[in-house]
Formats: sequence, C-alpha cells, structure tokens
Amino acid sequence: MSQKRVIIIEAGKENITYWRDLWSNRELLYYLTLRDILIRYKQTLLGIAWGAFRPLLTIFVFTIVFGRIAHLSDNGVPYAIMVCCGILPWQFFSNSLNDASNSLLNNSDILSKVYFPRMIFPISAISISIVDFVISFGILCILMLCYSFTPAWTIIAIPFFLAIAFTTSLGAGFLISALNVRFRDFKFIVPFLLQLGLFISPVGYNSTTGCQIVPDKWKVLYYLNPMAGVIDGFRWSVIGSKAPLYLPGIYMSLAVSFFILFIGIRFFRKVEKNFVDII
Amino acid sequence: MGSIITVENLGKKYQIRHQKEESYTTLRDTISRGVKNIFSSNKTNKSANEEFWALRNVNFKINQGERIGIIGRNGAGKSTLLKMLSRVVHPTEGRITMEGKIASLLEVGTGFHPELTGRENVYLNGVILGMTRNEVQRKFDEIVAFSEIDKFLDTPVKRYSSGMFVRLAFSVAVHMEPDILIIDEVLAVGDAQFQKKSEAKMASISKDEGRTIIFVSHNMKAMVNLCPTSIYLEQGMIKSIGETKGIVDEYLNNNN
Repeated sequence: MSQKRVIIIEAGKENITYWRDLWSNRELLYYLTLRDILIRYKQTLLGIAWGAFRPLLTIFVFTIVFGRIAHLSDNGVPYAIMVCCGILPWQFFSNSLNDASNSLLNNSDILSKVYFPRMIFPISAISISIVDFVISFGILCILMLCYSFTPAWTIIAIPFFLAIAFTTSLGAGFLISALNVRFRDFKFIVPFLLQLGLFISPVGYNSTTGCQIVPDKWKVLYYLNPMAGVIDGFRWSVIGSKAPLYLPGIYMSLAVSFFILFIGIRFFRKVEKNFVDII
Repeated sequence: MGSIITVENLGKKYQIRHQKEESYTTLRDTISRGVKNIFSSNKTNKSANEEFWALRNVNFKINQGERIGIIGRNGAGKSTLLKMLSRVVHPTEGRITMEGKIASLLEVGTGFHPELTGRENVYLNGVILGMTRNEVQRKFDEIVAFSEIDKFLDTPVKRYSSGMFVRLAFSVAVHMEPDILIIDEVLAVGDAQFQKKSEAKMASISKDEGRTIIFVSHNMKAMVNLCPTSIYLEQGMIKSIGETKGIVDEYLNNNN
C-alpha cells in the first residue's frame, strides 16, 4: 500500500492538501459524470439517441427563430451554420452553469456523509456539458457536410474559445453553487440570468458585421460578458474572415473569465467547510 | 508505534434559531434583517440565536489496530464526533491528527442511485467511499458473493427489496481497505442471518487485518463483542473512557 499520509484537521485552518486531494479524486469525478449521463436517459425509448436528438432539436428551433424570423445578415454563409456557431458555445455555457449551480444541492446526500473536495460536484456538472458539446459539434460537422461548406483553417482555434467558456462557467459555477447552498434564491435567479444572457450574447446575431447591432461606444460594456467574446471567436473560427474578430473584445473576455474563476475559487474555498452545517 | 488518531480539545458549536424559520436563509431575509439592524439599535434580533455546543473539550488517543466504541444517549454528540473525524463537518475548535487512509460509513448506501443497476452502483458507491476503480474491480466478486444478490446484479436498484438494497450497500462498505474505519450504526441491516454474518465480517476486519475501527451503536451487545475499549459521551463531553463492559454498565445504570 502507499505510504501513510498524515491528516491534520484544525479548527479554522485550510486543508493544505486540497488540490492534491482534488487530483486524487479524479476517478470519482469520472464516475459522478458517468452516473449523470447514464441516468439521464434511463427508461426512455430512444435511450442514448436522445443525446444527439436533444441538441439537434435545439439547433432546429434556434435556426428557425433566429434564421427565418429575425432575418440576419449571412454574408453568403448558410443560416443554419451561422446560428449553430452561436448556439453551440452558448448551450455549453448555459447547461454548464445551470447544472453546476444546482450540483451541490442535488448531491446533498453524498455531501453530508462523505468527504472529498467539494469542487468535484460543479466540475462534474460541467464535464457532462462537455460531452454534450462534443455531440453537438458532431451535428455541426454533419451540417457543414450537408451544405458542402468548408470551414476556415481558423477552426483549430475552437479549443481556445471553448477554454474561455469553460473557465467562465467553472468560476461562475463555483460561485453560484456555493451561494445556492445558503441562498436558494439562486435556483430562480440563474435561469433568469441565462435567458437574459441569450439575448445579450451574439447567439442569434453577429456583433461584428452587418448592421452594427452593438454601437462602438457600448462595446466595452458589451464585452464584459465573456460569452460575447467566446461566441464571436467561435463563429470566426468556423466561418473565418466573413465573421471578423474584434480582438479587444476577446482580450476582455479572457480577462473577465479568469477574474470570475479567481473569485469563484476564493469564495468556494472560503465557505466550503460549512456546507454541511447550512445545506 | 504511536497513536494513529489524536484528538485534542475538539469542539463544535452550532447556532440554534428560536424563530419559526426555515433552516436555510433566503437573500430577502438576510437583506431585510440587515436593514432592520441598521435602523434599530436594540439587539433583540440577535438574542434569538442561541449558541449550542454539540461537542466540547474532547480529548483522546487511539492506537493502531484498536477498536473503540462510542456510547451515549441521543444528542450526546456521537454523530457530530464521527462527522468531524470523517471530515464532513469542520470543527469550531481544537484539532484532529490522523495517519493513513480513512473511510467512514455514516450511512449505508451513500450515493446509491435508484435508476442504476446493482453492478453500476457497486462501482459508483465504492469510488464515492474512497476506493479506486481497480480496487472495486478486484473485490467485485467478493462483494457480490457477500451480498448474495448475484442474480439481480443487472436490475436497477429501485426494483430491489429494501433488504437486498442494504445488503449490497453494506457489502461494498465492508470491502474497503482503509487504515481507519469509522462506522455509525450500520450493523443493523438485513435479516438476523445477514446481521450475524456482517458482525463476523466486522470483527475479522479489525482483528485479522489490524485496522483501527471507531464504532457507534446503541446495540450494547454488539458493542461489547466488537470493541474492547469505549468512550462514554454525555452532553457533548467525555464522561469516561475505559473497558467497554464497565462503560456499558455505567451507561445503563445512568439511564435507568
């Protein structure tokens, strides 16, 4: 067996091996994620096919709403692809944040009986969204094939923008899940914020081309929303120069996302010790 | 070989509220209370919160391979002590030093999901309790054999009888290999025959494999059989530590 570890629990002191504990619990992370994926489609007729069907339906609805009704400028790029490039990162963020926010409450039975770094729960919630994203991305690829649309070489930059979305949802997920333990109000606030976010992020429109939906003087404020930069960047990655990049916006998103992560981790670590007492 | 667990001056304080409120607060309450406090100088609001020490000034040492029982009435602080040892609850004062891998069984079947099959739950529960995937894999047959439910392994747990459920959950738990095992009244599961089997298993875990066990139960017979030494808790304090037989007698005399 491995060498004996000494554990010291002292009132008011931080757990100094926290990050190592988190790493050593990666198998738990895997199983919690697997559990949530498995139970989602239990006792359904279509089973795991829902995994592909759900994002397909979402894309279909959004394409109709934003493409046909809103009549966006497309610069010769198929509507569906244009819209899809906005929906994919947004859905990833929205699902991540929603699930992460409730992750501690949903697992309160485990939380109050077994110890491991509590950050596992929000991280696991976001991992599920990554799986969903991969499936949705597959659908985007099929869509591009159908329209015989060749993505720009910049498509290799997608992981970078996805990383910003991941950082943002992780930070916000830590923050809100911890707040949710004490203030259940966030159960109602989060869906509302996400609905608002859908419209203030360039999901259904293009913030950099066409009729200049975002005026220049509001741009700084606009890109305080890290998802604005992420979605712009994602669209640029797939479509290329037809969806030009507003670089200051990307930097801003990057900075804000890391700031949120920093705050999230700080807050989560501070209140984590008392979760069981107040949940 | 020194002591494997050292508890020094351990204490846990809770705030009890004497208002008719939910156990969780809402933003609105916090804000409105904050506003009230600004405008009113009298602190009547504060006095509604009472401090309650669930456990205080607890000191003890446990050596490697010892089996310690914890005895006390409801509300004496047994569970609070176990929760602090399991790291689920953070102490208000004092410190705990432990050596080695700890596993705690505060409940049978923590993390079992009704929709998952028995097989899936064995893995999930094992990993939640702190085993690695390889460990679960290696012990899988043993776990299933012990639980006697091999026929229903691929049935969702929600279709299990409650007896089957606890048997499977208990088998996962006793097949962990921690250095320190913390158990809260989980022995009373299954029928008489299974209880006997699990008691024997518990005894063999500690006697033959040299593990340290901390055990809470109201079953005095099991206590005497399993733990040579016991700690008697009363109202959050240690009343006495000593040989289990004597402690049990003291406890029974006190409560008659």
